[in-house]
Amino acid sequence: MLPLIPALLILLFSACKHDDLAIAKPNENFRLASDFVKNNYDLTLFSAAVEKSGMAETLRGKGPFTLLVPSNTAFNEIGISKASDFDKMNTDSLKAMVQRHVLDQQLNFNQVPVNGVDIRYHTLAGTDVYATLASYAPNNSAYPANDLYFNGSSVTRKDVTVANGVVHVLNKVMKVTPNSTVQAWLAKRPQYSIFVSGLKKFGFWDKLSDKGPFTVFAPQNSVFEANGITEASVAALDPATYSGERLFGSYILHNKHFFISDYNVFYIINTEATYNGQLENDTWYFIISSTRNFYTAAVTYSAHLQTALSYPYDTYPAVTAIPALTDNLTDNGLVHDMQGLLLLPEQALKH
Amino acid sequence: MLRSRLQYIMMSAVALLLLASGCSKVEYRKIDSPAYLRVFNNLNYTISLENKDEPVPFLTMLIDPQTDQDGMPVSAAVKGDFLDQRDPYAPPYPSHAGTSISYKNPEYPGKENVLVGPVLNGFDLSSWAQIPSGKHRVMFMFRPVNNTPFFDLEPRLKKSVLIDTTLTLDAKEVYTLHVLQKDFITKKNGIYLRQENFHKLPLSDSMVYVNFYNMSAKGFQEADKSLKTGYKKSGALQNGVKDNMNIFYTLYKTEPSIAFPLPGYTQKFLGSLIRNSEVLQVTPYYSFPLFADGTSDGIHTTIWQHLDFMAPGMHPANNPYYPFQSETDGNWAPVECLLTGKTAIQGKENSALLPNMIVNIPSGIYNPRSFATVNTIEIVNGNIYLTTVQRKYAPPIY
Repeated sequence: MLPLIPALLILLFSACKHDDLAIAKPNENFRLASDFVKNNYDLTLFSAAVEKSGMAETLRGKGPFTLLVPSNTAFNEIGISKASDFDKMNTDSLKAMVQRHVLDQQLNFNQVPVNGVDIRYHTLAGTDVYATLASYAPNNSAYPANDLYFNGSSVTRKDVTVANGVVHVLNKVMKVTPNSTVQAWLAKRPQYSIFVSGLKKFGFWDKLSDKGPFTVFAPQNSVFEANGITEASVAALDPATYSGERLFGSYILHNKHFFISDYNVFYIINTEATYNGQLENDTWYFIISSTRNFYTAAVTYSAHLQTALSYPYDTYPAVTAIPALTDNLTDNGLVHDMQGLLLLPEQALKH
Repeated sequence: MLRSRLQYIMMSAVALLLLASGCSKVEYRKIDSPAYLRVFNNLNYTISLENKDEPVPFLTMLIDPQTDQDGMPVSAAVKGDFLDQRDPYAPPYPSHAGTSISYKNPEYPGKENVLVGPVLNGFDLSSWAQIPSGKHRVMFMFRPVNNTPFFDLEPRLKKSVLIDTTLTLDAKEVYTLHVLQKDFITKKNGIYLRQENFHKLPLSDSMVYVNFYNMSAKGFQEADKSLKTGYKKSGALQNGVKDNMNIFYTLYKTEPSIAFPLPGYTQKFLGSLIRNSEVLQVTPYYSFPLFADGTSDGIHTTIWQHLDFMAPGMHPANNPYYPFQSETDGNWAPVECLLTGKTAIQGKENSALLPNMIVNIPSGIYNPRSFATVNTIEIVNGNIYLTTVQRKYAPPIY
């Protein structure tokens, strides 16, 4: 014990010596939103869009703004891989696209209401974005999920402070077509022509310009062709022989505007794992659910038809989608691309 | 010497205090010939994928609002803000006024700092707000779920009107006002104003009284299960009960056990219940003795109540359903009124839970003492609610 005392004394004396501690100071010199985006390697494509559309000066302004910035990967997924690809776009529509990604207020993560669904925020383009926050399951606030979505796009990096507002990074470009309907959106795109001719043949097409809202799952021509269905074979289908409600009506949800993320959101906030919608004028059910990838935050869905809700029933194979092609928002609903068919003509025969 | 100096200092301090406080005038609020009003938000639906676009049932009540040229309210004589979905239990005293830490108000007046009702014919009306009697314009507005007061919200959020109507409230009358879903299919909402009469009836303080209402929306029970929000806690009641039901009750001797049903008080017919969300009438009060248990000491009793709502033609003695079944096609719904309404009974898994109708609380030299109450049980869609009114009682002496 005794020899310990000098050692303790040494410790005591040495404890009085204070070196100046260097504490890392928090950054007080935030950059402007436009500069931050420009200097970030993952956001160069959005920055190019900002420059080209002439919005850079606005974003250097006082603000405050909230920038919802799609990452470069998000642009790549819709076919924009380099800055020069924006040259193909009309400057006005590019400007509107950039403006639709900028809110005219500062919106930090903690300002979005807990478990809020479709909270509308105003953008510089004069449109609204739908923000949805899946915070936590009922009575389970200790284990929050805190998944934030804007128009169905996941926020992968939130609350980056800039001098004139805040930046959130999205994993998907928000695809909005203002002053347009679901019908007009489909009509404009030749890759959905077989689907459109099917809707026309069975009398669903005209409804799609109504008030809605509609949620439409649209397979491309290549999907139909892979299953041996062409424009000609659709034209040859006899509406008296085939159940149109099942064959083509099943791709449309009436009076619903669902982002793909909604199925995942309600799974969290309301323990609603799937959505079961009965087909219009039919006994069958359209069943859909979605999952969020833990690493990429990409939301994918899986949908199928079922002949009844409770046992006994038959199901048809589930089909999925490419996440980047979903959530095309128009004034009367949404269109989601679907990579597969819910039902083949021979399965929709009336008995 | 020292004593007189101390006295002098004290005196001058008191004089100073009197001088300083004497000039302030206290303004007492007073409402002449008031009516007494209590408001519940019975919109108990949950926002799900099926009804994603329905407004969240979080309300503001405005009485005599002033509106601008666009019809948007800008001020109101009486405002009941943050009106949340009601709690399963509406206690006889506004107890959450002192204990709640949330900005949400489970009823009006609830936590609001307003003039409340007096003791009327022995009944404590401190859960009823005083409202000037006469004809009033009443608006209920949907509002976002946050703690910003209604009039400070952005203009676009102040335009969602649930109902805009006129009510006539008579002086010294007791009213409960309910915001209800009237039709399950069309999702039409409305209000239901009931003029209570318990304070006018010759009710005994040795009997426990209860009356029943089924204010469910039209078409709720008949609708498919997939369209309803499953309130798991409601057990067999979660999908509603039929429009015509009979009520049976059983008293059990000890909380929380079903081992000792009271002889003479098992499976007794109480009355019938007809769904009604339109016609405003008070249903009859049924009663049972506070000290039905003959072995109790006349001060405190541990009895609790089990209720069975059964379709006509059925009786608890020949009940075709099992207590683990939550799907009874609306033919049977059991309810336990036990402790604070949180304790489930093993072997009665499909029961809805409510607090005991008998209030056991320290009073005078007794701890606890049992008090008879006047109760109202309301079924709204798949939920059940208990409102208890109690007489004024002696404070405890410790």
